[in-house]
Amino acid sequence: MPLEFTRSEPLTFGVELELMVLNTRDYNLSRGAQDLLARLAKRKLPGEVKPEITESMIEVNSAVNRRHGALVAELRTVRDAIMQEARRLNLAIAGGGAHPFHQWQERRIFATERFLHVSTLYGYLAKQFTVFGQHIHVGVASGDDAVYLTHALAPFIPHFIALSASSPFSQGVDTSFETSRLHAVSAFPLSGQMPPVVTWSEFNRYFDEMAGYGIVASMKDFYWDIRPKPEYGTIEIRICDTPLTMEGAAQLAAYAQTLAAHLLANRRRDALEPQYRVYGYNRFQACRFGYEAQLIDPYARTSVRLREHLLDTLERIAPDGERLEAKAPLDALWRMAQAAQNDTGWLRDRYAELKSMPDVVRMQARRWKESAREEAAQGRA
Amino acid sequence: MNLAFLPTLPFTLSYPLLFGVLLVAGMLGGELARIARIPRIIGYVVVGFVLGPFTQAMGMGSLLDEARIFVDLALGLVLFDLGRRMDLQWMRRDWTIAACGFAEALLAFFAVLATLLAFRYDPVEAGLAAAIAMTTSPAVLLLTVHDTHSEGQVTERAMNVVALNGLSASILVTILLGSAHFEARSQVEVAILHPLYLFLGSLALGAAMAWLSRVIARHIEKTREVHFALVAGMVVCAVGLASMLKLPVILALLALGLFARNDDRSYDLLNVNLAPVGRLLYIVLFVITGAALPLSSLMTAGIVGAAVAAARAAGKVTGILAIAPIGGIRIRQAIGLGAAVLPMSSLALLMLHDIARIFPAFAADLSTVLIACILLMELAGPFAVQWGLRFAGDALPVDPVATAQMTARTPTAPGD
Repeated sequence: MPLEFTRSEPLTFGVELELMVLNTRDYNLSRGAQDLLARLAKRKLPGEVKPEITESMIEVNSAVNRRHGALVAELRTVRDAIMQEARRLNLAIAGGGAHPFHQWQERRIFATERFLHVSTLYGYLAKQFTVFGQHIHVGVASGDDAVYLTHALAPFIPHFIALSASSPFSQGVDTSFETSRLHAVSAFPLSGQMPPVVTWSEFNRYFDEMAGYGIVASMKDFYWDIRPKPEYGTIEIRICDTPLTMEGAAQLAAYAQTLAAHLLANRRRDALEPQYRVYGYNRFQACRFGYEAQLIDPYARTSVRLREHLLDTLERIAPDGERLEAKAPLDALWRMAQAAQNDTGWLRDRYAELKSMPDVVRMQARRWKESAREEAAQGRA
Repeated sequence: MNLAFLPTLPFTLSYPLLFGVLLVAGMLGGELARIARIPRIIGYVVVGFVLGPFTQAMGMGSLLDEARIFVDLALGLVLFDLGRRMDLQWMRRDWTIAACGFAEALLAFFAVLATLLAFRYDPVEAGLAAAIAMTTSPAVLLLTVHDTHSEGQVTERAMNVVALNGLSASILVTILLGSAHFEARSQVEVAILHPLYLFLGSLALGAAMAWLSRVIARHIEKTREVHFALVAGMVVCAVGLASMLKLPVILALLALGLFARNDDRSYDLLNVNLAPVGRLLYIVLFVITGAALPLSSLMTAGIVGAAVAAARAAGKVTGILAIAPIGGIRIRQAIGLGAAVLPMSSLALLMLHDIARIFPAFAADLSTVLIACILLMELAGPFAVQWGLRFAGDALPVDPVATAQMTARTPTAPGD
């Protein structure tokens, strides 16, 4: 039974954001998702707010949007609604890719059939998966476009890692990585990247083979960094840490949308093999060093600093950004890259200043509430 | 040959030995309870029931007096921890929490008062007893929360409600003590000044110690280890100062916890986990409490005691069920919260003990009734809290994955 690719309006986009649910006493993760979701269910909100694998996480799904302005307005509305309900329950909410000091063994699996099933299958990996990511969906016209775009976006994955990184701390220590979250993802057997198929029918053959072995039952079972999502008619970028602000999340989404537009209009025809020979190494470099990562270009057989590569790319796609009314978010990202700033840097600065992890999380929660990212970026520029 | 290096008989029971014996005996009782699948607290208390007559046979006074220092330390720690869990900002945002606390305490007060008046007890004495009956045992709640790994709305709300009823009971008892002074024909100045001193003195001591803790905290490394020593040290100091100044340890330490949490805008103090040291003191506290609850009280005042316990439970549960659902928690959670505020233990016992010292007539008339009531709730309370926290879903399920009996064949991505 081949997977049907649902057509969708190209370049529409939306995000999924996993958020931390915290207590306000010591800002550890707290068991509060169920109560919070029950309260939110009574409100009329765009998109959806859903449970995630453990009871200390919630997931915000935006509606489908065409422009950055509408997306950011929607996300702010949802954020404010969540904050109102969380305050009544004495819970705090924060962005960030991983909780800096929680102990994974203390987490509780959210008791839906699927999550209990995942927990049974994956054992401790399920609780360790209490990490917080942003997924970005971009609409494409066909399955072939989805496969093309999944490959074409892969070399830009390090950009998303460096821009979104917000998990330097894990289990109470500084990991020295810009993002520690991705290690929790890599532990799963079906993580990584899509195999080098180039058409939707080729992809279907691959899928049928895997389904035939009983390894997968649906697309949900692959959690590659980028994957086609035939049900929605999108490609889904799953590499980002949840930023510390909703505005940051919308900026990343705008970058993904513009990059997709550029890559669809200027098709790449390079062989895929060289790209995937260095993919894992480049990804590691970005996770570890952020903007300072040395990215290998297997076609030119050179290496380039991630920051320069990112700034070049932003300049190259600027005209596409103008057309998509995404100039403001792309400029903000350009300023961030120029100043080598990201949320991981901000978190490390807070720790240097406050010298206690609970205080860092408290500031993280305040930042999510107040969302000063854009203003701060402009102030620094 | 001079044998003066040998110990002389009779041996005297030193504090370290007493503490050690109570701790080990209590721990063993707790283990037996665990094997019998009942709350550990029951095990500690039952050890106390057994030890009580023993110590008397050995010619010791009541353990509650002999080991008062341990009781004060343990209760001080409990009340501090409770005060720290009280969140005034949250109460401002959600008025139903404070309303819940006052409703259940007031209904329990009037229900108990009415019951005692029906049994023709003196109104002031009945009032004092009813004020004591307003309290919930914070030690039972905290220890059960810890033992069941409870987390969630019911746990948090229960802490706040229990802190509130402890606070209102302490205030009411101090006021009623004034009336007791009148009845005992003390001077008017004493009748007014004594309660005032107890109340304001405790608040001032708590506030001063919280302020001092913050000042010290600003100059030390902000790590759990260092702050643990600071907080534990300040709690012990506050207990010592309260006894030195003849102030109620209960109110002073509740105030310290409250100020430490709610008056700390610059977040100087880390919220350290006192459970490891707390557990040792709690075990000893429950054993001593058990020893101070003679089973004979059930013979002499069992019926009135049971009536008081029933009236109190009815008042508390009604108060909670009337208000809590307005705050948006589910009925199931409200019922769990009602059960969680039922236990009575050392806090009530100590209040009773201290009132009896100042006001001996009370001791003669009503203390056996209250002791019978405390004894019943000491046994029923831990079950009630445990059940309530499980029913509400706050307690850690024993094994959610195994109980769901899921078969694992096809993988599913969690991060979908």
